[in-house]
Amino acid sequence: MSMAKDYTMEKQPACSTKSLSNYFPEDHPDPAKWDDCVHCGMCLEACPTYLETGQEQHSPRGRVHLIHAVAEGEIKMDQSFSDAVFTCLDCRACVTACPADVEVGGLIEEARGQIRRAEPLTGWKKAFSSTILEKLFPHTNRLNKVGGLLRFYQTSGLQSLTRKSGAMNLMPDHLSGMEAIMPNVGHPVREKYKNMPVIPAKGDEVKGRVAFMTGCIMDVMFSDINDATIDVLTHNGSEVVIPKNQTCCGALHVHAGDRDSGRKLAKQNIEAFSDSDTVVINSAGCGCALQEYPELFKDEPEWKEKAEEFSEKIQDISKYLYDTGYEKPQTEMKTRITYHDACHLAHGQGVREEPRQILRDIPGVEVVDMPNADTCCGSAGVYNLTNPDMANAVLDRKMENIPENLEMISMGNPGCMLQMAMGVQKYGRSERIVHTIQLLDWAYKKQKEEQRQLQTSGKG
Amino acid sequence: MQLMRRKKKVSANQDHHIEAFFKIVGEKEVLFEDVDMLSYNCDGFTIHQHSPKAVVFPKNTREVAALVKYCAQNDLPFLARGAGTGLSGGATPLNNEVIISLVKMKGLLSVDYENRKAVVQPGYVNLHLTNSISSKGYYYAPDPSSQYVCTIGGNVAENAGGAHCLKYGVTTNHILGLEVVMPNGDIISIGEDGVPDSPGYDLLGLLTGSEGTLGVVTEITVRILKNPEMKQTVLAYFDQVEDGSRAVSDIISAGIVPAALEMMDQTAIEGVEEGSFPVGHPRDIAALLLIEVDGIAAGIDEQIEEILAVCRNNHVKEVKVAEDDAERGRWWANRKTGFGAMGAISPDYLVQDGVIPRSRLPEVLEQINEISRKYELRIANIFHAGDGNLHPLILFDSRNPGETQKAVDAGSACLKACSDAGGSITGEHGVGIEKIEEMRFIFSDEEIEAQTRIREVFNPGNLLNQGKLFPMPGRCLEVKKAVQ
Repeated sequence: MSMAKDYTMEKQPACSTKSLSNYFPEDHPDPAKWDDCVHCGMCLEACPTYLETGQEQHSPRGRVHLIHAVAEGEIKMDQSFSDAVFTCLDCRACVTACPADVEVGGLIEEARGQIRRAEPLTGWKKAFSSTILEKLFPHTNRLNKVGGLLRFYQTSGLQSLTRKSGAMNLMPDHLSGMEAIMPNVGHPVREKYKNMPVIPAKGDEVKGRVAFMTGCIMDVMFSDINDATIDVLTHNGSEVVIPKNQTCCGALHVHAGDRDSGRKLAKQNIEAFSDSDTVVINSAGCGCALQEYPELFKDEPEWKEKAEEFSEKIQDISKYLYDTGYEKPQTEMKTRITYHDACHLAHGQGVREEPRQILRDIPGVEVVDMPNADTCCGSAGVYNLTNPDMANAVLDRKMENIPENLEMISMGNPGCMLQMAMGVQKYGRSERIVHTIQLLDWAYKKQKEEQRQLQTSGKG
Repeated sequence: MQLMRRKKKVSANQDHHIEAFFKIVGEKEVLFEDVDMLSYNCDGFTIHQHSPKAVVFPKNTREVAALVKYCAQNDLPFLARGAGTGLSGGATPLNNEVIISLVKMKGLLSVDYENRKAVVQPGYVNLHLTNSISSKGYYYAPDPSSQYVCTIGGNVAENAGGAHCLKYGVTTNHILGLEVVMPNGDIISIGEDGVPDSPGYDLLGLLTGSEGTLGVVTEITVRILKNPEMKQTVLAYFDQVEDGSRAVSDIISAGIVPAALEMMDQTAIEGVEEGSFPVGHPRDIAALLLIEVDGIAAGIDEQIEEILAVCRNNHVKEVKVAEDDAERGRWWANRKTGFGAMGAISPDYLVQDGVIPRSRLPEVLEQINEISRKYELRIANIFHAGDGNLHPLILFDSRNPGETQKAVDAGSACLKACSDAGGSITGEHGVGIEKIEEMRFIFSDEEIEAQTRIREVFNPGNLLNQGKLFPMPGRCLEVKKAVQ
């Protein structure tokens, strides 16, 4: 019989020589975060990329293990490490599943910051990052111009021409998919209300004043949702202000590892909203990023304190309405709908019940449960552009769970809306993708219209 | 799927075996780079970490057999791995093994409600089975706390138990048949289809719980059960551990067989309440019991009354019955995530798995307390009190020099206390690497030798999961001393 080999108690060095941390000292990933992880594996089945690959390095505990190993000097920040860290969707489903509240999301973002510092982007990723993230999102006027172009593209007939001409076939698959589901672009609320310091509440009773964070994509591509948000807020007695100096929340920058830009934008927003007590937002991804600003300022105590104060003010629109009360519409909407939990709403902010309750409070809306409603759709910020294969695989899994015979799918995040619209198109389905708040707004408008008609006919 | 566009490169000094694996399972299904190997250097038992040579992901039995045959012919150590949630290091590659990961073989192949059985692949997740058949009123009984993520293949290897095994038995009581790839690559089937017992030696029993040392299981036929008509769950808080322990004995003595009878002590309660699934247990109590009875509706209420009376006789501070499924669910989520929740109060933990006769509960718990004081390490107890299966969780910080070794020694001392009380060193987590030397607490050299001979029959080259389960003869004098 052959003997088992002897083994020792030490961890074996995996590749590099054992040394101090292989991270840069600035903005170092927080050891307190991996200390909470005992490698139990309860996160595995919650992780979309683990479900897809079955591989540990693409699982939450695997990533935490690797991030820890770099700090122990066992491995370097090489390409394989970068793959593991950047394949994460940052969906935070693991945080919900984790028995010990390990902040995997925060660790991933810190590690990405380190990787970007070690190995700046090159090629198309660099071009994408500098064009979109640095030169576009933080600049309202530029975004509006792009919005204007999109508007022109959609209304001029150029869009249908492009679609007919098959020019789209020249684009990579995932980009032509994006083009096909681009929403019709309206007018940003920041332009529309620029001469109105305070948008007054409707009705006599004023409940209070909220500041509205319009979001950058939201305001350009989904300005109708921003319109709906303002109308719902004022309908329910809130005055709305739109602070002028607000800017992009920086979520995409932080997700991409560009933490310096994230900090710059964060400071601007913290200042822009310094006079506000409550900041309402209708985009889950942005809301979550705003609430996590303190994470960015570990090395700047003064700003950390301001960021903590700021993060307390941030409320998703559905939670704000749920907590402060809203009028239940009196009219029938007659629609069958399902609700998709945006990751950064459910896992990131713990907002699950509030939007569902809003939908259930609209007469005639039949809310059908979606199995695994809180599983990522694969949008994950710009993940569907940077990791299209994985994003598509995750989307496929999501679409398998969408119930049949629906008219609409509702959610609270623009990225999800684009991704789900792509899913609906890919599978030849017909559901309309809506923001939860739109449905409430439509109900109020329908109600108003019915009252108006009633009054007119009464007079006649 | 191919995640990165980057083509995998086998470097010049990388041996030709990787190329051979590419041919068997396809390039995408082979990992071998350093960083990827590091992520497979342990399972849920993290004290020993060793990187594998490669990780391969077969999709069917044929590929498993081809991989095993290749390893056998080329003298490559190898082992099988499921979700890697084991707590004794059973899937840790001590010898730079090739890991055969079975997570991509995760199908539910068939369900036969009439004959109450289901056939699954080894990578199928335990809880998925119950979720798939619950709409028809059936479930799969063995419920390890990791059932949300652990695989049935891994459960077979470790003969996994769980909270409800008190009444329903552990994994081995629910296995009807296995397809196994032998360590030489041959594929065999054992267990007659649907026949509860077959003549000859109980090979199913031998394979189940063999900790991956006798073969690689590629298909499993399991028993499924009809959901109990009714369930009631009681939560009882005690000011004294002794009172809780006595209540456990009294419940069993009263002739009640609860589906589950769980206990947590004060330190454990602190952990679960700091974790993600708190239910508001008071922090000042010494122990709590979670008691569940199930079965046909008639008689359940009487059993609950009797349990409440037993608790009151034992000075219970507060006792309540779950109002509904939601409340019961919260209590169980809190209990079942208990090990992981220790991360919230300690950087590392080592969980032990001793078994003792129920009647010795109070004295052994007191001995564990003494061990905690002696080694100056906190020990939390979350365990299956009903079947005397203790889980002392030794809390430590591996960053403090020497503390890991102290934790290992304290764990070993806990197992010694269990075996001295007439018990055993493992109830459900397996021996793995972790308790290998403690096997000597309960077996003589001759008994260990006899069992390693059985292993040789199946696994003569000892290439499969080498260095697990049985200690080598003559090693570890200090353990021998401890026995004497």
